[in-house]
Amino acid sequence: MKKTLCFILLTLTLLNAKAFNAPMQTYMNELSAEAKAANPNFTGFDAKRGEAIFVSKHTGKKGTQMSCTTCHTTNLKNGGQNVNTNKPITALAPSANPARLTDVAEVEKWLRRNFNDVFAREGSALEKGDVLTYIINQ
Amino acid sequence: MKKLLLITALGLNFAFASSVAPSDNAQYQKECASCHFGYQPALLNKASWEKVMGNLSDHFGTDASLGKVESEQILNYLLTNAGSGKITANNSTMQITKSPYFIKEHRKIPAKLIEQKEVSSIANCLACHTTADKGNYSERAIVIPNYGRWE
Repeated sequence: MKKTLCFILLTLTLLNAKAFNAPMQTYMNELSAEAKAANPNFTGFDAKRGEAIFVSKHTGKKGTQMSCTTCHTTNLKNGGQNVNTNKPITALAPSANPARLTDVAEVEKWLRRNFNDVFAREGSALEKGDVLTYIINQ
Repeated sequence: MKKLLLITALGLNFAFASSVAPSDNAQYQKECASCHFGYQPALLNKASWEKVMGNLSDHFGTDASLGKVESEQILNYLLTNAGSGKITANNSTMQITKSPYFIKEHRKIPAKLIEQKEVSSIANCLACHTTADKGNYSERAIVIPNYGRWE
């Protein structure tokens, strides 16, 4: 009985675990190596730190206060809206929008654009890895 | 006589058609229309599109940068289909809304109808031109939010 319960729990945990596809995992490994090179004490990406980055407010490229949530909102399972054009943005959470975080070129493009828009600079490997770890678990 | 009528009718039809070729390029739609309305290439001339594509990392205040290959492909699409004639005359800025023809066509619209949240910007074509995504800007297809038809 205990064994069965254990098995069920393990299966549920595995099903619930959010995994990157192979190309994305390769990209995450590259970010990880870069983060380790920048800081030898780096031990891995962290969703909590990613969330903190995601909600933090900064003076963006346009000189106004904004955060990732300005367009994407705080619930990533919901869609958002482009703050400049009002055009709808589909949900970022892979659980709600399976196409998210599946294409490395798309991910790199939007990280570059959106870090510049919100932080007025590009993101570091640590920041990008943390944010992606936060999003993949949504 | 019949022929003359036909020519006149065709000419009138052309003058009032208010249509441009739809932006049916999948790459353009993906890379540009993910953030804003997919403005048809014919709404700006070549000089304007070169300016737009020459500075995507500061695109009206936001970073819309693309990879080199994508950028070249899209520029090529835009230049091949760029506008000429009255729509783009005397406008080589990056903004369709700076075209004298555009300004003339929109001059009678009260500011409050543009500023309302359903529209919010004169650059939000689709808010009132209900068939703008098909390249059809005819007056018959205009429905201004909280106002109605514009005829």
